Amino acid sequence: MKTRRQALATIAALTSCAKPNKNRLNVFNWSAYVAPETIPNFEKEFGCKVRYSIYESNEEMLARVFSGNSGWDVVFPTHYIVPPMREQNLLAELDKSKLPNLPNLDPAFQHPISDPDLNHSVPYMWNATGILYNKKVNPAPTRWADLWLPHWKGHLTMLDDPAEVFAAALRKLGYSLNSRDEKELRAAQREAVNQKPLLRAYLNTEVRDQAVAGDVLGAQIWSTTAQQAIEANKDLAFVYPAEGFPLNLDCAVILRESPRQDLAHQFVNYLLRPEVSARIADSMRTATANGAARPLLAPETRNNPTLYPPPEVMARAEWFTTVTPEAQRLRDRLWTEIKSA
Amino acid sequence: MNRLRTIFLAPSAAFTVILFLIPLSIIVAYSFLTRGVYGGVVGPWTLENYQRLFDPLYGIILWRSLVMSTLATILCLVIAFPLALFIARASDRAKGIYLYLVILPFWTSFLVRTYAWMFLLRDTGFINTILTSLHIIREPLPLLYNETAVVVGLVYGYLPFAVLPLFSNLDRLDKNLLESAADLGATPWQTLYKVIIPLCAPGLRAAGVLVFIPCLGAYLTPDLLGGGKSIMIGNLIQNQFTTARDWPFGSAISLALMALVMVLLVSLLRQDGEEAL
Repeated sequence: MKTRRQALATIAALTSCAKPNKNRLNVFNWSAYVAPETIPNFEKEFGCKVRYSIYESNEEMLARVFSGNSGWDVVFPTHYIVPPMREQNLLAELDKSKLPNLPNLDPAFQHPISDPDLNHSVPYMWNATGILYNKKVNPAPTRWADLWLPHWKGHLTMLDDPAEVFAAALRKLGYSLNSRDEKELRAAQREAVNQKPLLRAYLNTEVRDQAVAGDVLGAQIWSTTAQQAIEANKDLAFVYPAEGFPLNLDCAVILRESPRQDLAHQFVNYLLRPEVSARIADSMRTATANGAARPLLAPETRNNPTLYPPPEVMARAEWFTTVTPEAQRLRDRLWTEIKSA
Repeated sequence: MNRLRTIFLAPSAAFTVILFLIPLSIIVAYSFLTRGVYGGVVGPWTLENYQRLFDPLYGIILWRSLVMSTLATILCLVIAFPLALFIARASDRAKGIYLYLVILPFWTSFLVRTYAWMFLLRDTGFINTILTSLHIIREPLPLLYNETAVVVGLVYGYLPFAVLPLFSNLDRLDKNLLESAADLGATPWQTLYKVIIPLCAPGLRAAGVLVFIPCLGAYLTPDLLGGGKSIMIGNLIQNQFTTARDWPFGSAISLALMALVMVLLVSLLRQDGEEAL
């Protein structure tokens, strides 16, 4: 394994490093996750180049960095991907002396379940899952269980994501959304199959335009996407379901393979600056994990109940945890059953 | 001469080895390995991935894929045949223009064109807007996110693959045969059924194969136009490499699908061979 890696590294070095790019930082991030000036300002201030590329799913990113010689320096896994990446030895240990801005983080995100001491990951942006709905729907949904009511028929969408669909069904039944129990998961699968005749489709962010246009009246969706839809159509509203809802926290990590650990730390520390983080959150309409950035946000973002729900709502939030391989396999099988039902 | 041949064939040989044989060997190897905990593959070697294929759940998905691909193929042939006949009968100048129009959609990406279909079919889309504003319907028709939309998308996507082989077949058709048929008292319909279609059998088969195979492996169309509600075998494979993180099983399904396609192809080639004799 090691020799193969070395051989591959040599090939990679021969092919990609024709020009010396010691001063080029390679950043692989989710789409729409930096402000237009975030990267140029960093380049100017630190006298380097940044190669910036985007991905749309954790799996896409994982497939690229798994080899351990992907050429990326900083990537942004969701929190529950951090432990597996650490186990696979993909992550560099963070040098906190090089991250003086770390205390800027919101206390709620200083000790995420996936990396309580922030040894390998720095919380960046977060979102939660809830229900986006059109206000003309009567009665307005307040619980996951409301998404099983027949009046939605043909105008309801669920996320095309097994973890999210299971989370809604499990919470509806009163189980933990991270359940590994076969009986509970099977019960959740039956719920999802029962709900399927009401569904228009399983859609992720694509649902935004259809909710704005009025084709879709209700959707299980992430808070950040919901916020974009609400801004485009005032008839839309968002609710955090009463049974509890999942939290997702995207984190910046530095890959072990990176030969530019110093520059990578400088970049992560730069992202932790309140003004940089606030600018990103304002322009991309995301929720920052940076507490010091909150007061700098535009007032309509700062007090937005969708992006930053009040503490009593946050009390119902539950972190997604890393799924064990056995549970993952069962979940996948049940998901395939849902999809082919 | 021999050396020249080697030189000219080398690029395509290298192309085949690097972009086809090596990836295929990797997939074969993967299909006998065990899934890594978080994607990727690890030892030991196993046959389990192939055993799992016999699960009835996957049989249902395969059956649905076969039905939808067959339906799309038949529709493609029915639409493509008159079009190909029309083009083959046009003047040489017009032929060029028509063929050009047939392949024109390939100028834009398939993904973009599929999105265009979503805009046509959705509730507030082009078709529903026109129909409601003409007061033909009151409530928008549910055109998007069902199996019909998937079949429509497949037919649209692969129609050119049916037109081109049919055209080349019909274009070479000896006009004297058609005239003889007419002279001998055949009506135009009889000429079509008894002369043109039998002579076009190889073209029809080629067109059918060229449409059916990509339809069977389609994943974009069922995903975007079907709304992820009725998955085809292509989606099952894609899912193994993404959310399920089960690369070995994904590889095994891919290879099983390839084997199935090969069996179909070989049986068709046999038929062609017998007819040639």
